[in-house]
Amino acid sequence: MSLLSVLQSCSNWAPVALIRDSKYGMPAVQSFHLMGLTVLLTTVLVLDLRLTGLGRRDYGLSWLARQLKPWTLGAIAVMISSGSLIFLATPGKYLDSHPFRLKMALLSLALLFHFSVLRRFTAADSSMRPRPADVIVACLSLTFWFGVGWAGRAIAFVP
Amino acid sequence: MSLFEWCQWLQHTHFATAIAESDWLFPLIEGSHILALPMSVGMVLILDLRLLGLAFCGGPAAKLVNNLLRWSRIGFVVMFLTGGLLLITQAGKAYGNAFFRAKLIFLLLLGINAAVYQILFYPKMAQWDSARGAPAGAKFCAGFSLVLWIGVIVCGRTMAYQF
Repeated sequence: MSLLSVLQSCSNWAPVALIRDSKYGMPAVQSFHLMGLTVLLTTVLVLDLRLTGLGRRDYGLSWLARQLKPWTLGAIAVMISSGSLIFLATPGKYLDSHPFRLKMALLSLALLFHFSVLRRFTAADSSMRPRPADVIVACLSLTFWFGVGWAGRAIAFVP
Repeated sequence: MSLFEWCQWLQHTHFATAIAESDWLFPLIEGSHILALPMSVGMVLILDLRLLGLAFCGGPAAKLVNNLLRWSRIGFVVMFLTGGLLLITQAGKAYGNAFFRAKLIFLLLLGINAAVYQILFYPKMAQWDSARGAPAGAKFCAGFSLVLWIGVIVCGRTMAYQF
């Protein structure tokens, strides 16, 4: 059985079909995806701004990272579940889409970077001014995560 | 000329059609509108959650507010500029759309809510900040804001399905 036929049968699975074919099914799932985006990118933005030294410095970096973590993880869970539903509703629309492939590549990169490099850089407090490496890590993190967003938006406009 | 006719005229101006028909301008404006969410609405949500005692407890809320709202000002400028441009290109279609109307009403209520908070609770924030937590009225404003912003996002996303 090919990947496409597996996806086709998932796509015809009753709950997925119900969401796809009902009037407000897709807008509702897309709304969850967008709310997840807001929470996720807000936590990323606040942490990266703090890492560059532009954001709030009256709080410890590691304290901030600990406070943000559950919200980041929760938002990632919402994004992946709603995103999977959107994908499964019309897999044909995404399989051949170039922006979708770019989005998945950037998403893998962003997740990997977030839970390895960025986690290390935000684990310890330093009273010193931000080092150049901190600024570079924050900029890379913002580029990867907002890149995922832009690639996602491009799916609607670019084949 | 009625408001509807004016919206139709606006949508068909040279400026509006140039944006709508551009291969890159419309996606760029729409993408900016969505990706400005974290810097505008997201910052307000953090404040709401802090006032409700659901997140960021243990740090003084007044400092948090000043820091985050400074960023959210930039975010909201981007939001209103891009939102205005998007509206111009689709004014005729947006006019009668129930979700668009609901979004505008929610935004109006959010403006009033923010003004009430700014006048009644913000000046005394330093007094209750380090104590037990926000007074009931401030918590109500925060909860109201949280619910309405969710409504704005849902309506904004849903209206696009009807164009």
